[in-house]
Amino acid sequence: MSDLVIHVVDLVREYQMGAERIQALRGVSLEIRRNEYVAIMGPSGSGKSTMMNVLGCLDTPTSGEYWLAGQEVSRLSDDALARIRNREIGFVFQTFNLLPRATALQNVELPLVYGGVGGRDRRDRARRALERVGLGNRMDHRPNELSGGQRQRVAIARALVNEPAILLADEPTGNLDSTTSADVMRVFDRLQTQGQTIVLVTHEAEIAAHADRVVTLRDGRIASDLRQDRTRAA
Amino acid sequence: MLRNIDEGVLIALESLRVNKLRSTLTILGVVIGVATVMTMASIVEGIRTQVFNAVNAAVPNVFYVMRWFGATPFDPSNPPYEVRIRPVLTENDAAAIARAPLVRHAALWCRFSSRIEFEDSRTQITEVWGSDERFIELQGGTLLAGRLFAPSEVRTGAPVTILASDVARSIFGRLDPVGRYVRMGNRALQVIGIWHPPDNAFRQPGATTGAFVPYRMAKGSFRFDETRELFVVVLGDLSVSVGDVRDQATVALRRFRGLRPGLPNTFDTITQDQMLQMVDRLTGAFFLVMIALSGVSLLVGGIGVMAIMMVSVTSRTREIGTRKALGATRQESLWQFLVEAATLTLVGGSIGILVGLGMGEVMKAGLAIDARPPLWSAAAAVVVSIAIGLGFGLYPANRAARMDPVEALRHE
Repeated sequence: MSDLVIHVVDLVREYQMGAERIQALRGVSLEIRRNEYVAIMGPSGSGKSTMMNVLGCLDTPTSGEYWLAGQEVSRLSDDALARIRNREIGFVFQTFNLLPRATALQNVELPLVYGGVGGRDRRDRARRALERVGLGNRMDHRPNELSGGQRQRVAIARALVNEPAILLADEPTGNLDSTTSADVMRVFDRLQTQGQTIVLVTHEAEIAAHADRVVTLRDGRIASDLRQDRTRAA
Repeated sequence: MLRNIDEGVLIALESLRVNKLRSTLTILGVVIGVATVMTMASIVEGIRTQVFNAVNAAVPNVFYVMRWFGATPFDPSNPPYEVRIRPVLTENDAAAIARAPLVRHAALWCRFSSRIEFEDSRTQITEVWGSDERFIELQGGTLLAGRLFAPSEVRTGAPVTILASDVARSIFGRLDPVGRYVRMGNRALQVIGIWHPPDNAFRQPGATTGAFVPYRMAKGSFRFDETRELFVVVLGDLSVSVGDVRDQATVALRRFRGLRPGLPNTFDTITQDQMLQMVDRLTGAFFLVMIALSGVSLLVGGIGVMAIMMVSVTSRTREIGTRKALGATRQESLWQFLVEAATLTLVGGSIGILVGLGMGEVMKAGLAIDARPPLWSAAAAVVVSIAIGLGFGLYPANRAARMDPVEALRHE
């Protein structure tokens, strides 16, 4: 049990769209252990995004259980979920979602601000996170002074800074060219070897190839769950 | 939550900088509202200080007896019943008061308005006092040239006058006025002296005392309102309080008019403290009206802030989603936008304070009053402008706080 970071049982998520009721997830069960490197794949409409939202505690399931780091989170209030997201989940978005007016360091500090970490400690931790992604020399740059790959690395540093239980990346290379994509994926690979649990949501096989395990969704259900030998860039 | 204040303030200042015109228009209402209150506060405080100084500096043991003293104006040709039942003051009333203990001097005086003319030059309509030989003792100021009224001139109502120094300068220029004749109405009056008013006396624009004449001369030749412009001026003994002298004068006049105990007074006594209170009441009402008016512009400013915050919340939907994903609670999102709105209005309020101070300086120069806005009005302006930001920012901030993070992150 202590080894299970994510434990999902029979997860259902329905939406009301006008008169229609849409089932985005139709009973998904999944276990992810510490330090696993998992890719969640599937065509659009497969429930991939919904799965990512529920796993990221941005959304709650209609029914089913979701245990995150030993805590049942499927029935928590908005604010309790905000606290869980702050502590246990590090988000990396396709569009980076950095604050344009803030420096790299200030962006990385943001989760610590909401986590109640103050002053010098906050700055030190943010600085270390930026150094981990190789941006120790770009801390005072604003997002528009950074390349796409650098921006995504700032976002990864921001996701890491609270030492979350999982790093949850949604199409992290969707807005990057292939060279920078490889660059960013190398960062993920290295973090995983350092012990980080990573969940990638992607539709690109090339990206999914970095993971140890590929979970494929189709029509709101798990179509396959395969372990693989990862390909790693040198 | 407090740890987010600096961030909210910085964001607000940044958006002020980036959208200069939009922000200026947004906070304009707050600026105007606060500036109005500040200016009015300076004027009211200035007037009050002037009156207070005049009252304190003039002659503290002087008070007045009038037929009627009230804040409500009425038509002098048709006074209301409660005024009409009171007898008009006479010189005998003044003589009765003069006989009371502790009273050093009491005389019937009046005030009227007239132009003062010499050859081709004439003044505006100015205030003239019908008084007696002791008016400097009671009104302050100094005699610059010539002499005061002789007792015989007062007794006979001789056609003589003492001019205020500025009046003398304006119509005589460099001529020596003493001994020459001026016209007031259809009377020719010989100038016998020049009077310099006290420096610190309260002078409303247009209500400057232009000249003094003997009371009996004024009574015989000029028209004035017997209720408000005819009064007994009383100088009390300095060794006792003005209240004690007033009590003595009241007893003396009641006895002279044959009022039995239990009957109300048929006259009013007005000490300078009461005049001050009256000024306070009038300026208080004035002030309330101004506060109501500036309240309107603060309201408009608040609505502007609300509109701009709605725009800000909408255009930063994705940022709100990101912040929520990173762990911002509803309260923290709410707080972020409240701080931003309050910073906007605080900036507006601060500018308003500066504008108000500037207006105060202009007033000081223009009205010749010492208009210094009181400290409390600046403090109140700061508090009010922050409160407006919080109040009108609440709706947009609440919208941000209640956003669904999934929707917000999907927002383009």
